[in-house]
Amino acid sequence: MINRRFIAIFNLTCLTGMLALPVAAQIDRAKQIGGKFMCMCNCNQVLTQCNHVGCTVSTAMLKELDQRLARGESETAITQGFVQEFGTQVYAEPPKSGISLVAWSLPSIYLAVGTALVVMVIWRWRARPHLRPAAANMPAGMSADRLEDVRQRVARETED
Amino acid sequence: MDVFGSFALLLAFVCAAYAIVGGIAAIRTRHPLLIKSARQAGIATCVLIFVATFSLVYLFFSDSYWVAYVVSHGNHSLSTFYKIAALWSGQEGSLLFWSFLLSIYVFSVLIAYRNKNGELMPYVGVVMAGVQIFFLTLNNFVASPFKVLASAGANGALDIFTRADGNGLNPLLQYPEMVIHPPNLYSGYTGFTIPFAFALGALLARYPGEKWIHLTRKWTMIAWCFQTVGILLGAHWAYAVLGWGGYWGWDPVENASLLPWLTGTAFLHSVMMQEKRGMMKVWNVWLVFVTFMLCILGTMLTRSGVVSSVHAFAQSSIGNWFLGFLILILVVCLAAYVKNRDYLKSENQLDSMISRESSFLFNNLILLVSCVAVLSGTLFPVFSEWLSGSRISVGKPFFDKVNIPLGLILLFLTGVGPLLAWRKTSVDSLKRNFGWPLVVGLTAGAVLFALGLREFYSLVCLILCVFVTSTIGMEFFRGARVLKARSGSSLMTSAVDLTMRNTRRYGGYIVHMGMVLIFVGLSGAAFNKDAQKEMQPGSTMTIGRYTLLLQSMDTKPEPNYTSERLIVEVMKDSKPLMMLYPERRYFPANQESGTMVAIYSTLREDLYVVYAGRSPDNEVPVIHTYLNPLVKWIWLGGVVVVLGTFVTLLPNRRAVLALSAVQQPASAPSLSPSLQPQVTLREGHD
Repeated sequence: MINRRFIAIFNLTCLTGMLALPVAAQIDRAKQIGGKFMCMCNCNQVLTQCNHVGCTVSTAMLKELDQRLARGESETAITQGFVQEFGTQVYAEPPKSGISLVAWSLPSIYLAVGTALVVMVIWRWRARPHLRPAAANMPAGMSADRLEDVRQRVARETED
Repeated sequence: MDVFGSFALLLAFVCAAYAIVGGIAAIRTRHPLLIKSARQAGIATCVLIFVATFSLVYLFFSDSYWVAYVVSHGNHSLSTFYKIAALWSGQEGSLLFWSFLLSIYVFSVLIAYRNKNGELMPYVGVVMAGVQIFFLTLNNFVASPFKVLASAGANGALDIFTRADGNGLNPLLQYPEMVIHPPNLYSGYTGFTIPFAFALGALLARYPGEKWIHLTRKWTMIAWCFQTVGILLGAHWAYAVLGWGGYWGWDPVENASLLPWLTGTAFLHSVMMQEKRGMMKVWNVWLVFVTFMLCILGTMLTRSGVVSSVHAFAQSSIGNWFLGFLILILVVCLAAYVKNRDYLKSENQLDSMISRESSFLFNNLILLVSCVAVLSGTLFPVFSEWLSGSRISVGKPFFDKVNIPLGLILLFLTGVGPLLAWRKTSVDSLKRNFGWPLVVGLTAGAVLFALGLREFYSLVCLILCVFVTSTIGMEFFRGARVLKARSGSSLMTSAVDLTMRNTRRYGGYIVHMGMVLIFVGLSGAAFNKDAQKEMQPGSTMTIGRYTLLLQSMDTKPEPNYTSERLIVEVMKDSKPLMMLYPERRYFPANQESGTMVAIYSTLREDLYVVYAGRSPDNEVPVIHTYLNPLVKWIWLGGVVVVLGTFVTLLPNRRAVLALSAVQQPASAPSLSPSLQPQVTLREGHD
């Protein structure tokens, strides 16, 4: 009796698990794919994050997403479908192809060019000889090296 | 009162025009009377703008529903609090508010330096009046807040008519932070006018050396602090009101506020190189110019409708005015630079790659790259439409991917930069300063990894946070220990004493500590959870350690809105914890609804409960719940940043030995006059 009950509970648990797992997986996929689209209610928010009171657009879009997932459509097919329906504005992040590649590559270009410039500037400034004070400002009886030593001492003593 | 306000604005315009023309004449002739009259015209401009602003506020309080702006943004039932906020809730009023805040700064500068810096101030006055006259042009002729409701009468005259009540304030703005967020943000934007005016004025006047930087440091710090607070308050408002569970959505308006903050932060760092080493003069001047231009650009973007935003004002032609002004500023700045660039020649020289100077250069690089990346991302939809005919959105995922790595590099530099010595850092110094912090940071990382933290960026962020905290803590500890040995007071008292002896340095560390706390808060975003459920009274939902039981719901009429409130009992680990009351508010005056999120906030996490509305199928209440770890650290970090900024603005407590250039008798010097150490006691920053 106990065994039968145990087997029944076990079977029920497995069945529930088998049914629940795809549902949970679908919810996760919906969240993941929905995170790649913008809500088209003009709120400028990602579809899964649009929570405006009375926003019927995000509700309809999420419903459509669920339906497409339930039909077993791939992410590419869903994306194509949304772009066809809403235009390229539906992308939450630009696709990594075509003109949108510019958006993705610009920050890296800025960083690379900027780093090269900074390194070049540091290199050039390091290579510069230490400027000597103008003759007019040179105190009598003081060598340039002594003056440089004093200058460095002043710099040291006033560092914060 | 509308006529009074309108007239005050017109008179302010005339005075500002005189401040420009008289100021230019004063610069040319050096006539003391002209200089004085131009300055007084500047002061009069400010006073008249104050009068106009108070007139508009009075019109709101006196329910003057014949003034179009009052009708659009006010109504009888608005509380005092929100009647003040109505001033900046629309295009016209916010532009007047901009003029008002700018006038506070201009007035303060004109009064503070009325008998000082006679060479420079006429130039500064002209530049400030130039900025003021642009906004006064908008206030008077483009977007006047004093327009009345009128129609053409039978005899051709205008018949002014009065409405019984106004439309009321936008529900999204009826939140306490909305009363303090825009003034802070606008104070930041307008505040950057002062360093801009000094930089341009100094360039035009060929004013000696670093004087303008010393004069404007406090103004820049104040503007930067306001901008920081404004951004954080805006983030908190978005978090608590918009109900989407986040605080930063990379919306164009948010981005517009971040851009000048990034360049302003870069300036506050690179300016030290000019102060200490006489370097980067051209760079600093342009950083100030660019920061001010970004303030104007941001305003243009959000008011022209070029980019769409949930925060933006309605699309209007006012953007063209800002574009024109922006071009004018650029032309003036370029012309001044080309004409006087020789004056900006500096002794750019580095002794070592590993030095404070290099770290500042990299700090500026990262801040600027981030700024340009955010700007290009914000404008990319416009460019893509121009180039390909289709508008491609650039949303939060893009900005997160681009800016998170940059933010982490910046965080690393926050720990490293201040502990590197000027000119050159020895290997011994590196070991001494960074050995233990590195060990502590990596150990913390190992512990977090062992505890199951696998999110790469969050892990790196937290390691860096521990590293930076250790470096800052060690700096305080070392200094305080020395003082403690001398004075015998406690370590804490010594640390306070240490801070007050060199407010700029240790205030800066406190600001950095605030930024660390903000980064700790940001790192929690990777672990956000959320759940949504249709809930009948008596039903429950579980998220993390919390269980929410919907007990009941009620409706409460308030003077300005009707509230539908859910009464939710929160249980933690199955034990009753507290009650939360998420609301939906309906505002009959403008037929709009808004949410009031209920948040249970701890240092560990925020339980964020939104009444998302009723299900369209069965009218059952829908609750959307988020569990957002570490968010409170962001707001705490903001408080610490403000505290640190205040400390940096304080004068050093004790007299310090200072070096000053003074004339010496011909027989005396053995050193250059510029290097002769003189024991002069002065109050001031290092």
